[in-house]
Amino acid sequence: MAQRSEFTAPNAYTYDQRSAPRWVFSHIRRYWYFALGFYFFFLIAWSCYAGAQVLIGRAVDEIISPSGPSGLMIITLVILSVMVGDGLSGLLGSLSAESVAARFEADARQELYESLLSKSKGFHDRQRAGDIMARATDDTSQLSHMIAPGGTLVSETVMGIVIPLTYIAFIRLELLLVPLCFVAAYIVTARAYMGRLNPVIRDQRDQFGVMNAGLEETISGIEVVKASAREGFERAKFRRNARLFRDFFVRQGYIEARYLPLLIYGVALGLSFLHAMLLYRQGSIQIGQVIAVVGLVNVLRFPTFISIFAFSLLQSGTASANRILKIVRAETDLDENSGGHAAQMRGEIVFEGVSFGYEEAGGGRQEAGSDPSLLPPASRVLEDISFRIAAGQTVAIVGQTGSGKSALTQLVNRTYDVSAGRVLVDGVDVREWSMDSLRSQIGKIEQDIFLFSRSIADNIAFGAPDAGRERVIAAAQAAQAHDFISAFPDGYDTVVGERGMTLSGGQRQRIALARAFLSDPRILILDDSTSAIDSATEDQIQQAIRKAQEGRTVLLITHRISQIRWADLILVLEGGRITAAGSHEELLDSSPHYRRIFARYDDKGTGDRGQGTANSGQGTGSAIPNDKGTANSGQGADSAIPNDKGTANSGQGTGSAIPTIAEVPA
Amino acid sequence: MGFLFDGLDAEQYDRSYSDGDLVRRILGYFRPQARKMGVAAAMIASAALLDAGIPIFIARSIDTLRADTTFSRIALTALALAALGATSWVFNLVRQTLAAQAVGDVVLKMREDACDSVLRRDMSFYDQYASGKIVSRVTSDTAAFSQVMNLSMELLSRLLLVFALVGYLATVSLKLTGILLALAPLIVGTALAFRAIARRTITASRRMNAEVSSHVQETVSGIGVAKTFRQEPAIYAEFINVNRQSQRVNQRTRYVFSSIFPILNIIAGMGTAALVYVGGLDVRGGVITAGTWFLFIQGLQSIWFPLTSIASFWSQFQIGLAAGERVFGLIDAEPRVVQSDSVQLPALRGEIQFAGVDFHYKEEEQVLKDFSLHIRAGETLALVGHTGSGKSSIAKLVARFYEFQGGQIRIDGEDIRRLDLESYRSRLGMVTQSPFLFDGSVRENIRYGRPDATDAEVLAAARHVGGDEWVAALPRGLDTQVGERGAGLSMGQRQLVALARVLLQDPAIIILDEATASVDPLTEVLIQEGLDTVLAGRTAIVIAHRLSTVRHANRIIVLRKGAIIEQGGHDSLLAAGGHYAELYNTYFRHQSLEYIEQARKAA
Repeated sequence: MAQRSEFTAPNAYTYDQRSAPRWVFSHIRRYWYFALGFYFFFLIAWSCYAGAQVLIGRAVDEIISPSGPSGLMIITLVILSVMVGDGLSGLLGSLSAESVAARFEADARQELYESLLSKSKGFHDRQRAGDIMARATDDTSQLSHMIAPGGTLVSETVMGIVIPLTYIAFIRLELLLVPLCFVAAYIVTARAYMGRLNPVIRDQRDQFGVMNAGLEETISGIEVVKASAREGFERAKFRRNARLFRDFFVRQGYIEARYLPLLIYGVALGLSFLHAMLLYRQGSIQIGQVIAVVGLVNVLRFPTFISIFAFSLLQSGTASANRILKIVRAETDLDENSGGHAAQMRGEIVFEGVSFGYEEAGGGRQEAGSDPSLLPPASRVLEDISFRIAAGQTVAIVGQTGSGKSALTQLVNRTYDVSAGRVLVDGVDVREWSMDSLRSQIGKIEQDIFLFSRSIADNIAFGAPDAGRERVIAAAQAAQAHDFISAFPDGYDTVVGERGMTLSGGQRQRIALARAFLSDPRILILDDSTSAIDSATEDQIQQAIRKAQEGRTVLLITHRISQIRWADLILVLEGGRITAAGSHEELLDSSPHYRRIFARYDDKGTGDRGQGTANSGQGTGSAIPNDKGTANSGQGADSAIPNDKGTANSGQGTGSAIPTIAEVPA
Repeated sequence: MGFLFDGLDAEQYDRSYSDGDLVRRILGYFRPQARKMGVAAAMIASAALLDAGIPIFIARSIDTLRADTTFSRIALTALALAALGATSWVFNLVRQTLAAQAVGDVVLKMREDACDSVLRRDMSFYDQYASGKIVSRVTSDTAAFSQVMNLSMELLSRLLLVFALVGYLATVSLKLTGILLALAPLIVGTALAFRAIARRTITASRRMNAEVSSHVQETVSGIGVAKTFRQEPAIYAEFINVNRQSQRVNQRTRYVFSSIFPILNIIAGMGTAALVYVGGLDVRGGVITAGTWFLFIQGLQSIWFPLTSIASFWSQFQIGLAAGERVFGLIDAEPRVVQSDSVQLPALRGEIQFAGVDFHYKEEEQVLKDFSLHIRAGETLALVGHTGSGKSSIAKLVARFYEFQGGQIRIDGEDIRRLDLESYRSRLGMVTQSPFLFDGSVRENIRYGRPDATDAEVLAAARHVGGDEWVAALPRGLDTQVGERGAGLSMGQRQLVALARVLLQDPAIIILDEATASVDPLTEVLIQEGLDTVLAGRTAIVIAHRLSTVRHANRIIVLRKGAIIEQGGHDSLLAAGGHYAELYNTYFRHQSLEYIEQARKAA
């Protein structure tokens, strides 16, 4: 199958990914010599261990009727060497199995990692990092447990039953009767036992999770709990959960106490003994063989009792294998299109009747994506969006969370592909562009800025690893980041991120801007939804963004009124549709909703708060600044002049004015 | 199976309870279960005796076995053997059932007590400990404690078996018992030595695994950036390196762990050989019978495994005790906020008076010193100041979240320490910076403070704070699930839900810590207008981050280091050019229309 891929690892070993068992097997096959070693040594080990029981029986015969002066010594030495042989081959076999297990874990993680790198950006946007983490660490270690001790114990169970039974058969075939019945009864009762126990354990584990999460929530929200005087309610909630857990716990103990195989084993031991004694009375076997049979039946104890544990390891290992395979096999929905259009970008962006929904775009979304219940049922994120941005313009995209702002920008750099319509960059459909050429000329700064745990200089130079220190510093200066970086003791060599210095949101943002300056994209997408708390930082971010706007097209998702105010084009998104578009002046005229935003900011006219706080939208919404006349004014405080026309418009809408859908310029 | 290597994590915890105290506390919880535990103990002892009896019985039967033994005698022997096994099984059944009930009840009681104690605490406790830590004390530590209870019973029954068997063997042959016992220190010693090695390798493994995790964590989070800049090969090379190292370290740990049992097997094999030879000579010499000889060989096989568990028991027991201690520590601590009376104010007006209040969270950092402030009923008061100036402390003292050390706080003239907290807080509304929502629907969240409110009242409250549009914008209206901690809603929507929740409570006093986290301008307008509605006609203490709120307040209190240094209206304070003017320039200037209009020039 031709997987479309964004990254191909050099000399990657290929595994059979058609199903979980095939996949696990293909991983083991890579180290077939270790696997073979395990079976070889363990067959010897179990043969020795069970054989020792037969030899002990022989020893009895030797003691009672000596074959010679050194007969006892010889058989003792044979027993010793057989038991040491058991230990040594067991050791070698275990080491072989552990070698496979350790390699399997690392290989599976590598395979997963390679596949993660080959997936599209859209795929990763849909995944929760925690989810992937769990697969790369917990699930891979679960896989190694599936090999050892899971797989080894299952093999040992088989050997530990078959080999002693073979010895018994050699002593006397009919002696197999009781052990065979025992093994059959064991399989039936153990399965029934698992059938009863598993659901209770699952319920218990789930209930523990519920109890934990419930209390965690209570404590996280303790201010609300206390401020609302609802301690009693939360207490009752916890008690209910804890009691339910207790009931499952007791139920588990109840089931475990009724573990039938143990009872059957006791009976089987008695019956085997009876059988052996009867044969002895008939003279068919000797006393040493009676002892050997008892010893061999004793050997059966270990494999039968360990098998439940072993099979549960196989089960959870298979589940882990499936979880990993699901990611590995998920088709990446976009490909590199390396032969596509490649050119120096100017930065003109056109959306033509674009609609977009995650469901249609993403192949692997359902199984691996975020909680689908959080998305609107229709999952149409954008509906019939059309606009045109000339090269070098700055566009502010305004709207609530979930209104489709991010999705809109994600279509430009092909994080996703449109469901309908076209997105054109410089007149060429983005799907026609070579992905390399497209993405390398589109910079993106996310709201949640990610910095690697490296030095600041390395982070800034991430997209241009061979840039010298001077260029890094120049970029930092343009991004207004040079001053705070220089203030760190280690300057540009300060390590940041998880294992280093913690930076504030504003600082991270400026480092990301510096990173963008260095890679110098033609189109910059900037998710600027975090606001600065103090005015000095705000000043610097304003300057940095202003600098970034020079000579490139900028798509700005922002909450900053000042950015919106001065954008060339403002797009107001609501529920995936553009409800208003235009410049600041145009929107003040056409969109009452937009007017309300600015209404809040002008209190000069209403001034003193004599009339209290009750008159919500009415009083405060009455004065609308009009900057038509003052757009080019620089005289500070005077620039906001209340406009009477606005008063008339918004006076009637005291807080519930539904914005009219403005005409979108075609 | 991993029994031998359990409990390698045992750490030294600060023990504040003596062993005696701890055991007394534990016994206190088990007292109501005394009957069950007594029966269980008797069952353990009996089952151990029976289990020890099985190999002995086999040995004796072999000794008496002759070619002319009657069938009925043989059948009786086999029947008796099966009966021994069955009886022991029944005893174990009774024991496990009773123990599960007893331990389940004890753990339930401990959890209830721990949870009650947590809920009684004041906020200083929650500041001190992360919520995850508290939860794990209530749920996981109690579970660890119960595991040790089970483990102890299990170990006890195994050791009883060993003692019973060895005791019997000693009466039969001291010499062979000596050989058997000589192996014991060898087995326990080897197990302990392996544990010491395992502790080292597992620490290395754990460190390595943490490194792999953090590498994967980082690259998975940063994969978007890597892809934007097309740097996949670079991070891939790093990963390969870390992954290889982790494989090496983990393999070493696995080798250590899987070597122990084969090696113990070899030791047991040497013991068996010694018994075969020495015992064999004794049989020939007529000192012991062949059955006894076989009994010793079987005995060795049944005691060596329980012996290895002794090696790991002590550290596991310590883990359990430490867990128990953490739970008791939680249960025993007293809250600092204590009410001396339970006065119910008939109708809360909302007049608040601080008179010479001294307050600190930590001894060495005084937050408020001789602080006095009178807030009139119905007044909107804005608190401004730098971080650490005491703004939040004032608000939290009004909510009676903390105990203060000096002076008085009076609500409607009544000492706050004498109020009935439940009835007082039910008339107190509080909205914090990042409002907390409980997993459930929007409706349930709004109703949280007043469970008896009707659907109509909930809807009215929701409409009152933000008009119809925000409710209509929710995918399923008021029935929209908010998700864990409200993650399914935007920050703005969460704030509106929190405002509606407070409004429904119809509080006389509102405490508001305005959000600094920004929401989109459209939602912000809604929130601001909602706030105006909620604050109207109530006493409001607002920790202000928004210029518009500050301007709307009846009175602005300017705080520095826990003292009021200026107060008055926005314009007059600004004109005075004091601390407020400085704060304005630091925090509020960029929110003004002047700034917005100047933004282009500023660059």
